Amino acid sequence: MTPMRILGLLGLFTLALLAVIGPDLIGFDPARQDLRAILVSPGTDGHLLGTDHLGRDLAARLLEGARITLALTAFAVASAAIIGVALGILAAWAGGLIDGGLVTLSNGVLALPGLLLVLLMAAIVPDSWWTLYAGLALTLWVEFFRLARTRSQVILRSPAVEAARMMGLTRSHIVRRHIWPDLASQILSLAAFGAATAVTALATLGFISIGLRPPTPEWGIMMSELLPSWRIAPWAIGAPIIALAITVLSLRLVAGPETELEA
Amino acid sequence: MSLEVSDFTVAAGTTRLLGPLDVTVEPGEPLCILGETGAGKSLLAQAIMGTLPAGLSASGRIVLGRTRLDDLPVKKREALWGRRIAILPQEPWRALDPLMRGNEQVAESHAIVAGRSWEDAHCRAEADLTGLGLPVASHDAYPGVLSGGMAQRVAFAAATAAGATTLLADEPTKGLDDARRDDVVRLLRDVARQGGILLCITHDVAVARALGGRVKILRHGDVVESGSSETVLTAPQSAYGKALVEADPVNWPAVEGMSGESPILVAEDLAIARGGRTLVEGIDLSLGSGGRLAIAGPSGLGKSTLLDTFAGLIPPASGRVERHGSARRPLALQKLYQDPPSAFASRVSLKAGFDDLLRRHRISRETIDGLIERLGLSPALLERRPTAVSGGELQRLALARVLALNPSIILADEPTSRLDPVTQRSVMEVIGEIHREADTAVVLVTHNLTLAKRWAGTVVDLQGFAKQEATH
Repeated sequence: MTPMRILGLLGLFTLALLAVIGPDLIGFDPARQDLRAILVSPGTDGHLLGTDHLGRDLAARLLEGARITLALTAFAVASAAIIGVALGILAAWAGGLIDGGLVTLSNGVLALPGLLLVLLMAAIVPDSWWTLYAGLALTLWVEFFRLARTRSQVILRSPAVEAARMMGLTRSHIVRRHIWPDLASQILSLAAFGAATAVTALATLGFISIGLRPPTPEWGIMMSELLPSWRIAPWAIGAPIIALAITVLSLRLVAGPETELEA
Repeated sequence: MSLEVSDFTVAAGTTRLLGPLDVTVEPGEPLCILGETGAGKSLLAQAIMGTLPAGLSASGRIVLGRTRLDDLPVKKREALWGRRIAILPQEPWRALDPLMRGNEQVAESHAIVAGRSWEDAHCRAEADLTGLGLPVASHDAYPGVLSGGMAQRVAFAAATAAGATTLLADEPTKGLDDARRDDVVRLLRDVARQGGILLCITHDVAVARALGGRVKILRHGDVVESGSSETVLTAPQSAYGKALVEADPVNWPAVEGMSGESPILVAEDLAIARGGRTLVEGIDLSLGSGGRLAIAGPSGLGKSTLLDTFAGLIPPASGRVERHGSARRPLALQKLYQDPPSAFASRVSLKAGFDDLLRRHRISRETIDGLIERLGLSPALLERRPTAVSGGELQRLALARVLALNPSIILADEPTSRLDPVTQRSVMEVIGEIHREADTAVVLVTHNLTLAKRWAGTVVDLQGFAKQEATH
């Protein structure tokens, strides 16, 4: 574990902690408007980070946004990892038509720019976090599939697995002792990379008003709402931008250098 | 001019890895450093070249001719490489650039290191390779298609093109079969004959014997014995020296042929192919229960493929393999692998794999612990991962693992070729003892004809069945 990775994990842990307990500590409702106090500076009247253009507490909105972003990302990445790894092992194991079919399917997904798929789904069913989740998971599983398939192919050809088969050991032994321990070491990196992509994608979609809708305090939506007032209250739009940057940075630090994935 | 290393030590922090030792190599008289893996042999070559890994510190004097090497600045040391001193690496096919033709790599040394014109360099490269007995047709081959011995000659030509007369050879015969090994030894002997300085590092007693000159035996970083090769290799004084010399298959006690009793594995007119090309054909053989069968032959002749055919893992190209009697049971055939670590799941403890095996086949823990102890190991080893256990121990654990299944035939694919000689001897001995106790037949495949003959009494030389086009 490198110091950089530890730093990234610390960052993620802090973010997650804030997302879980933060909204209760703030004591402001992220949706409650107060038109007598719009765009007040940080620290005024108990507003830790000030308020936005409708007088809503920024800190409360930011933390609520962290909840949405982190939860959606975690679910999407976990689903993608489970589906991708399972299909990858299946493809390597079965070979033939099943392998060919799955590879074609994954290449088909890869051929679409990642955001396009999410955009398409969000356009069909707007304002639903289910479509965002499904869109992200459907985009992200491919990388897990490719990693799991390639590694499994190598491992299934190794003398260790040949010996295990000759000794009559079961498939579950081969998956648990040979394939999974090998994949586990790389899945954390891949998941962190995927999560960084997902967080950015969510904010991008929010910013162009696709997917979730106001007044949901999603970070991308907050950025687009606060953009008109950036001259008067730069700290206001700065808050979601910095939050997004810290999240993505932490995830990239956890992922480690990209070269590690090739090992 | 001579190479003198005096009062020399290599240490990692406060741990001494090598020395203190004094080594003198005179021109024309090769010096062989013999010793097991991990004895610090390669450190000496690296220290002389000036390529010790970071974190290691060396002290003492290294003098070549009238130049003191050890306190030269890095740039000046590098300037000597290829011009005065050259290294012949182990596994040369890895040291050569796989994407560059052999003669180009030699010409590059002539042009860049020796500073000759490219035209001249190309002519000299061709002449060098011809001089080393490499057929003209293979001069412009890529290293990947050259045999180990040929690749070693290309590496030698490239290393010495700029006129280096001091040659350090670090395990130059590792991974080569007998015939190719003799090729390389001949090459090295010529260096010494022509008045060069040759320091050869090896764990193969046969190489030291063939090179002649002087020998030093190294163990745990200390010199345990030194002298002329005849004295040391015929009448070693130290306990380790004796073990090392005895471990040379030439000195193993001979055994009678043991073909076993009623036949359980029979091959008739068997041919095997790889990638659509027939490698060997017309093989007829029979192995009886409890017997030993050794199959020898040079690399690339399909020895492993043959074993896999016996095991039923791949179908024969033509002909038949039949199993009789007890060998027809499921799990009756088990395999031992060439590279012990690759035969175990690498990222979990050995215990995890053994536990799965015990549960699957309802074998009691006492049985497996008993086997492990019988093979001279402690069951506590199982707590470790395969990477933390030595090759010899792992091969014994692999043997324990298959014996627990009470197999009729063990197919051993070069089980000791990655082990040092003393370990090789003890592993082969333990396989020999235990297969008799367990009444299990063994098929041994090896590139070492002597070992095969000594261990099994009779040998099937696969060369005799090679399809004509397949031999080089």
